[in-house]
Amino acid sequence: MTTSPGEPEWTYAPARDHGLGEGARLRSVMREPGLVSWCAQGCAGAALWAYLRAYHGLRVEGGERLPASPPFVIVANHASHLDALVIAAALPRRLRSRVYPLSAGDAFYESLAMSAVTSVFLNGLPLWRKRAAGRALEELRARLTAGECGLILFPEGARTRSGEMGAFKAGVGRLVAGTGVPVVPCWIRGAYRALPPGGRVPRPARVVLRVGGAMTFEGVRDDRAGWEEVARELRGSVEGLGGEGEGRA
Amino acid sequence: MNLQIGMSGAAAAGTGRFAGLGEHLFSMRGALDHPVTVLVVAIVAGALVLTPVSALVLRRMGRLPEHVGRDVRTRYLTWLVLAPAMLAPILLFPLAAMLAVCAASLVCYREYARATGLFRHRALSAIVVLGIVGVTVASVLHWYELFTAMTPLTVVALAASAIVSDAPKGYIQRVSLAVVGFLLFGAGLGHLAYMANDANYRPLLCMLLLCTQASDIAAYCFGKAFGRRRLFPNTSPNKTLAGHAGALAVVVPLCAGLAHLVMEGTAFDRPHRLLLLGLMVGVGAQMGDLMLGSIKRDIGIKDMGATLPGHGGFLDRFNSVLLVAPAAFHYIGLFTGFGLSRHGGGGVVP
Repeated sequence: MTTSPGEPEWTYAPARDHGLGEGARLRSVMREPGLVSWCAQGCAGAALWAYLRAYHGLRVEGGERLPASPPFVIVANHASHLDALVIAAALPRRLRSRVYPLSAGDAFYESLAMSAVTSVFLNGLPLWRKRAAGRALEELRARLTAGECGLILFPEGARTRSGEMGAFKAGVGRLVAGTGVPVVPCWIRGAYRALPPGGRVPRPARVVLRVGGAMTFEGVRDDRAGWEEVARELRGSVEGLGGEGEGRA
Repeated sequence: MNLQIGMSGAAAAGTGRFAGLGEHLFSMRGALDHPVTVLVVAIVAGALVLTPVSALVLRRMGRLPEHVGRDVRTRYLTWLVLAPAMLAPILLFPLAAMLAVCAASLVCYREYARATGLFRHRALSAIVVLGIVGVTVASVLHWYELFTAMTPLTVVALAASAIVSDAPKGYIQRVSLAVVGFLLFGAGLGHLAYMANDANYRPLLCMLLLCTQASDIAAYCFGKAFGRRRLFPNTSPNKTLAGHAGALAVVVPLCAGLAHLVMEGTAFDRPHRLLLLGLMVGVGAQMGDLMLGSIKRDIGIKDMGATLPGHGGFLDRFNSVLLVAPAAFHYIGLFTGFGLSRHGGGGVVP
């Protein structure tokens, strides 16, 4: 069909998760939040900020380095379930619905109820550590390069059991190698003491989020070697933020 | 129809605008008193019982291919939930019917907003949602002045709020999308909720829902059996002249006949008025279907969503009622006065 001269040519951009049933949508990395999620995240964000400030005395160092608009990836060391909440709470309110923490699919998305809570309140996207992670990373890379979202990611792949930061997996490189998407390294201190793996009730330990300068990997090749190079460089930056004598999370 | 209920209730109580409202809103009396309500419930229950039986018989006879059987099963299971979910609020009490219409409006708008991308403009979406809630509140309060005011007020709010972002590029598109969304799913569908203020709302709503769904089914069956010539190949390539004509041949007499039973004894109960209502419902149902086809083809999508397994989105199933609701409301209202507020009443055409 052609458009007659003078007829407006409107463009539509359906939701990226259009055509998925509700359950599939909650578990899709293509999910886009709507009005309900936006309200829920606004309330959850305010409550989280109040809790982290009051109970953990959350302090953000270098907050001015947090990106002003998507696309971006924020990476950090991972020692506690509090980590994603700390970064999400530190982000400007207007960005929250466009920033997605990547959460372990096998921990947060196995049941529908848990998927709904993680997606609706925290805006999480699932990443299954074993199955179909490659395809999910490709889809996330496409969303990043389209400039529509920011991601929060813990490249260690799991919470440290010892308090020491582990190796970064190459998946983070797969998201950004060869692109101009900025990656912001962060160091979270105190979360391990506040709520370590296996802990049920958070302790009132002080938590500090230290934000580093953004890095880009435009010149890095988009292949296995490039991805590993990105992972190594990012680990070095995150570790550097931890500083001497602060190697434990 | 007992069209004076709100007015007489208020007058009897003599305590202002909302007196006697609760009594009507929660009235469960006579849910199955009217023969049309009973007939529609019986037809729906019969269809839900007979469909699996006939599918089983056809399968045993080897006349139901496996892929068609699977499709029928999925659609049937959806109807098994959907039909009671539609009928129960109507049968329960007026407030339940109004809230059900409100929920349907919100679901329809959500699908539309996500399909067009309008959902990313949160302020506009929030105003449309508030508009839908406002229309429902006006229906619940049986306040026709507020009901009619909600449309211009929502449009004004949409036009004004879209300025705030100081992004003129795309202004007309996003405001127009929001206005159309509100008009179709808020103001349009909202007429069904307002109808629940009528003492005779149960048979009326049952009649409209049955006729619009019958239109879809008849168009499908006649189209499959006799369909050759396509009337709107660009809009809906599967719709044929035979399907359109067959649907009208079923819906016009069905609607006129049912309307005769519903409107018995009123100024509306004249053959030409009943037939015109039948024609309005028959044409309106098909136009609603084609309208959604136009929207989907304009966007470039197959279905509006995946809310109802086997059907697509909620809108894909209920498109036929979108245009019928306001048209039937105002046409009937011309003669019976239904739809006017608790302070007025009576039709304008004798």
